[in-house]
Amino acid sequence: MNMKKFPLRSIPRRKFLEMSMKGGLLVAATPTLLSHLVSCREGTRPAIEMDKDAISRVIRKALERGGEFADVYLENRISRQISMEESIFNSGVYGIRQGAGVRVIAGDKTGYAYTDEINEENLMRAAEVASYVARNSQTITPVDIAPAQRESYITVAKPLEEIADNQRIEIMERANQAALGYDPRIRMASISYYDQVRSRIIANSEGLYLSDELPLLMFIVSTLGEEGNNRHMGRDRLSHHSGFEMFEKTTPEEVATTAARESVDMLVAEDSPAGTMDVVMENGWGGVLVHEAVGHPLEADNIAKGIGAFTGKVGQKVAADCFTMVDDGTIPNERGTINFDDEGTPVKKNVLIENGVLKGYMTDILSAKQLDMKRTGNGRRESYRNIPIPRMTNTFIQKGDDKPEDILASTKNGLYVQSLSGGSVNSVTGMFNFTCREAYIIKNGKKTKPVRGATLIGSCIDVVTNIDAVGDDLAFGPGNCGKGGQTAEVSVGQPTVRIRGINVGGSRA
Amino acid sequence: MNYKELTEKLVDQCLRLGADAAEVYLQSSRSLSIRIRNADIETVQESSPMGIGFRVIVNNRLGFSHCNDFTDRSLTSTIERAIAFAKLTSPDENNVLPGDKGYTEIEGLFDQEIQNVPMDRKINMALELEELALKDERITHSSGSGFGERETETFIANSNGLSQSFKSGSCSISVGVVAQKGDQRSTGSESSSKRFFADLDPLPEIAETASQRAWEMLDPQPVRTQRASVIFDSRVSSRLIGGITGALNGLRVMQGASFLGDSMDKQFASDLITVIDDGTRQRILGSSPFDGEGVPTARRTLVENGVVRNFYYNTYAASRAGIESTGNASRGGYTRIPGIGTHNILVPGGEHTPEQIISQTRRGLLLNSITGSGLSSVTGNFSGGAAGFWIENGRIQHPVRGLTIAGNAEEVLYGIDMLGNDTDMSRSTVVPTFRVREMQIGGV
Repeated sequence: MNMKKFPLRSIPRRKFLEMSMKGGLLVAATPTLLSHLVSCREGTRPAIEMDKDAISRVIRKALERGGEFADVYLENRISRQISMEESIFNSGVYGIRQGAGVRVIAGDKTGYAYTDEINEENLMRAAEVASYVARNSQTITPVDIAPAQRESYITVAKPLEEIADNQRIEIMERANQAALGYDPRIRMASISYYDQVRSRIIANSEGLYLSDELPLLMFIVSTLGEEGNNRHMGRDRLSHHSGFEMFEKTTPEEVATTAARESVDMLVAEDSPAGTMDVVMENGWGGVLVHEAVGHPLEADNIAKGIGAFTGKVGQKVAADCFTMVDDGTIPNERGTINFDDEGTPVKKNVLIENGVLKGYMTDILSAKQLDMKRTGNGRRESYRNIPIPRMTNTFIQKGDDKPEDILASTKNGLYVQSLSGGSVNSVTGMFNFTCREAYIIKNGKKTKPVRGATLIGSCIDVVTNIDAVGDDLAFGPGNCGKGGQTAEVSVGQPTVRIRGINVGGSRA
Repeated sequence: MNYKELTEKLVDQCLRLGADAAEVYLQSSRSLSIRIRNADIETVQESSPMGIGFRVIVNNRLGFSHCNDFTDRSLTSTIERAIAFAKLTSPDENNVLPGDKGYTEIEGLFDQEIQNVPMDRKINMALELEELALKDERITHSSGSGFGERETETFIANSNGLSQSFKSGSCSISVGVVAQKGDQRSTGSESSSKRFFADLDPLPEIAETASQRAWEMLDPQPVRTQRASVIFDSRVSSRLIGGITGALNGLRVMQGASFLGDSMDKQFASDLITVIDDGTRQRILGSSPFDGEGVPTARRTLVENGVVRNFYYNTYAASRAGIESTGNASRGGYTRIPGIGTHNILVPGGEHTPEQIISQTRRGLLLNSITGSGLSSVTGNFSGGAAGFWIENGRIQHPVRGLTIAGNAEEVLYGIDMLGNDTDMSRSTVVPTFRVREMQIGGV
């Protein structure tokens, strides 16, 4: 297969963005211009000198009234979304979103402004608005920007822009057939396909200049099972930063079958019992529990404010010996992998908790400065309309030595959680909650009947201290993580684990 | 640029480029956000986002595209993308656009004053709010306060001759604090969000609510797993009602994904419960003269004394059901195809004060926070994490947290046996306190 590192394709679009930077003369991104530029493969290199000058002028403007850091972020995102419900392709949405933002940091203050139309005039205005917070503060002389190199962890064999729309449609049809063909009790399937290519240019007063393109695919199958008065919505998702070859590694039929199986198996579910139980969580998407319960409280913004649940605990024992947790933005092609964060810091494998001892937090530029810590490559933003904040990438519990079947067999009674639908955490108090999609009662070390409506609730500190078995079967699942009004694409991972004594909610005594 | 003319002109262009029917939706906004923490500015953000969405129908097939660049070339090519997509999707005769049915006249959607208030005053309000919220000695940290404002102009035009526009605005002020005691942390926050600057709640009131919410939850005590009454206070009562309104979405009903699909004109809940959707309330956030595809908004009773009276629809779902749109097309901005949603949900109040409901509860939970899914609109079952206060013999005993509550549709919805009179009509969603006779509570 003809694999290549990703940034190779980025030249035409970068050229386009840089052209539009020139004194705001023409227009910002026109799709026509864009497709023209994309189609002329190896065009001449654009005259980047002048464009970088324009960016430099914006950075200088941003620091005119004060401030010790400024950056400019330019973004262009082309997306396609197709949805199918009840065997009908009910919509196709094609979108172009682009713009640029200017940020100024002065002490603990951040000023930010953005424009939807990329030209120097608008960026100068944004710089002026952003510099409002830096009035009367000390300033610095920005370092001249120069292109930097970053490692790429995203390979593409079948670029999204070379995929005809009917290939996307075909993938969805295959999933729909597989879902409806799984069992007559599957009453409805809905299939959602999304892809995007996001181009970024990041330049800052430390002299950094970076650009790249990130492709992203997301495929979701939901199925409604029905029998008598019982209904259950099953779901499975597949998502990677990847080309279209994603569907060769995991077929649309596999995704559909996973959702359909859940819908059917859960039709015989009984109401969940309530009370404190030992919980065995199957590998994969269950990792969202530590994402919420431990990951969010380890993001450095609340730590810098002195209010996060893990404030001041670096070097301390905060979890069981068998618990090691990692955030790693370098896992090839994973949904949370981003090469460098939206401030230009390279992503890394960051060990957050090692054998129960807290090692560090996830930082962005601002919180790293406030805490006098290293930048970890976690400064992410939803788009040019948002400021970067510390966010997770691919977060997981490191695999252990236990066999998953032994973990189940050694759990006398409890709840086997096969998948969670999602949850939330209060990063300050550390209280979290989760709703189970699919769960089973454990009796004498065996999975028995399924139960519906189970909620898991507790404090993050309790969970990580009460984990007593960690399997050797690490797996990942894709998700969307919301924080501060911004959504970020992440993955979560875990091997099969057992947590002693979680409060489980249900409607039976 | 005259956006009204632009949207009309672009409808014609869609038709010229091959669409049988077309809708152009344009939004242009301006927003400001100020965040304060520890008596200083933390962030100031200003922006003016805008964009345009094209919905085209070709041979009963639907295509949609959007962009935020208004140059001719870009607009033309974006329309072409929508038309190309419309050749791929499935034909559905219910892909139709509404005709011009006028609009509902609503006073007070835009307050010119908001942007005239000087920046310094907005900053000072947030500073003062934080200071007030930190006054109580049990409050140890600030998680920040803020002021925000936004104004939006919306234009819709379609090939049935519809061409509408309106301008709306809002402002909000909020604060969050932490009460720390030893290793314990408890958070509290409150916000006020209004169409008019003058309607914002008084700062001392907002500050006190946030502060009290933080300190009053310190020193929680465990309770055992049991069945007991659950009082949903007005902060969380809308979570349960939201599951009901979700189940009255006309499309979900036709798809079989609603627990109320077969309940038209049937009793499914306590006769204390009436639910009204009203998109026409003056000076209220969820109100607008027309919905997300230009159909006039209205006031409609969805549930009357526990009986389903109406489902709600956008134009597509209504066509499928063989009726007229109820003006419930929701629109998450110019990048989205119209969905289905409610405007302002109102549950008329009952006869008891919240204090009376508490004093008449022998044993139970006064809920002030629910986490998790709440009431499922597919099954009607309720499940979630819970925090609040424990009640014995009509009196609040102590805070509780880390509990779970659950119940099936019938026991929860028919179990509503007391309804409060605490309806704050300045809000968009108005649901008073109510009590469910008995639910399963998971504790230790």
